[in-house]
Amino acid sequence: MIIFDEVTKKYSSGTTALDNVTFQINDNEFLFLVGPSGAGKTTILRMILRQIIPTSGSIIIDNVDITNKKFKDTQKLRRSTGVVFQDFKILFDKNVFENIAIALKIINSPKNTIKNEVEEVLGLVSLSDKKLMFPIQLSAGELQRVAIARAIVGNRNTIIADEPTGNLDPKTTWEIMKIFKKLEESRTIIIATHNVDIVNSFKKRVITLKDGGIVGDKRSGKYEL
Amino acid sequence: MKDILTSIKRTPYQSLGSFMILFFTLFLSLFFFTMTSFFYGVLSYVETRPQVIAYFNVDSKEKDILQIKTNIEKTGKTTSVNYVSQKNALKIYKELNKDNPLLLEMVSENILPASIEVFAKKPIYLKEIAEFLKHQKNIDEVNYQKDIVDRLVILTTILRRVSIGILAFLILISIIVLLTTAAFKISVKREEIEVLQLIGASQGYVRKPFILEGLFFGFTSGTTAFLIFYGLFAYFNPFLSSYLSGIPRLSFYNLTGYNLYVFPPSLEYIIFSYLITVIFGMFIGFIGNHLATSKYIK
Repeated sequence: MIIFDEVTKKYSSGTTALDNVTFQINDNEFLFLVGPSGAGKTTILRMILRQIIPTSGSIIIDNVDITNKKFKDTQKLRRSTGVVFQDFKILFDKNVFENIAIALKIINSPKNTIKNEVEEVLGLVSLSDKKLMFPIQLSAGELQRVAIARAIVGNRNTIIADEPTGNLDPKTTWEIMKIFKKLEESRTIIIATHNVDIVNSFKKRVITLKDGGIVGDKRSGKYEL
Repeated sequence: MKDILTSIKRTPYQSLGSFMILFFTLFLSLFFFTMTSFFYGVLSYVETRPQVIAYFNVDSKEKDILQIKTNIEKTGKTTSVNYVSQKNALKIYKELNKDNPLLLEMVSENILPASIEVFAKKPIYLKEIAEFLKHQKNIDEVNYQKDIVDRLVILTTILRRVSIGILAFLILISIIVLLTTAAFKISVKREEIEVLQLIGASQGYVRKPFILEGLFFGFTSGTTAFLIFYGLFAYFNPFLSSYLSGIPRLSFYNLTGYNLYVFPPSLEYIIFSYLITVIFGMFIGFIGNHLATSKYIK
């Protein structure tokens, strides 16, 4: 469970990225964060990864206050959270298998476990036949599938995605979203997006942000601004 | 290993720079290390030689020489005084020139002088002893080695100080070059580092490839410096051996128990030099890259 309790983020330049934001995300919930650019979507995602610390308020993940100064388990927190970016952030000197395996290598998983788990997620994202290919040989949709595979491998219970379909054509966008749909039963999924069609067709919870504040939070919501 | 080679391929000139500066530092380190060890060995050898030698005219009587020996001993300023008769002098001469029959043929017992070798209790007595001997009957020549010892002490001290100064400077330069190169490599891999950190990699995991690369450069440049140094040594060995033929085996800082001989170098000493060079190189490589990763990977 993720709880944002009166979270505010102000930068020294005077910009307010988030203003007194409070919400709760339950386990295995599927959630869209929507809103115009600069509304605070990415700030929320980066706060869940503890890349940004709030100016005030607290963020509690699985009963642990990650905003507490004494919190030292950032690595453990990130190891339980998979992350997908709009620009994929794939390592171009590693092949598909190695790109996914790296998420398991960092936690010193045994070789056999790495092989089995990577093969399993490759099947899930339909890339089993391309595991030895290098990123330069893949399409944008395939690159994003590699990124998703890397985000879910190793029993990560939360997946956050920042504009995961922003660089993809409509057909590929739907293929990627189908993968997220497959994952929702066992994981919490938080997707920040501008894509109206996707949000409206999924009929999931939608939190709408504007100027750093929440202007809407609806179950089976729609993209409304 | 694969990651290290990939990193070198990505930044070939920076890698070459790291390698060259480390190689240069380690080559000079090995050179100075060998030179100071060698001069220390020479100094130790010279210190074991008689400090004052008085040669007598060839027609001197043994009785007179032994009387002078007794007189010298009575001064209480010597630790030992050895008498070398003409017969013994010939024996020593034959041993020293056993490989040169021509020289052996030309010399007989009658033309070699008898001598006494004096070891003084303190260096300040040397001049006094030499003066005393010069004024004795039948003395042909008096040699004393204070000047040689003094010069060797000065030379060894200067060499050691110059080596430390130059090496400290080179080590500093090496660390700065390695740090700068590693910083550049970190910036090249910035996105990869960001990804690793976001998926939960520990600081140690992220820093490990850079540290390993530093160790790799230390190892390869140390090995290259060693091979080139001993390659040159092997090339010049015939000349050196002939030039230093009168000097016996020189031990490494008097550590004779480990078979460590600086000249001619024993296998143990060569292995020891290699290990010292490589470990020193890996240490510098580690320090340079450790500083860079500590500063630039947060």
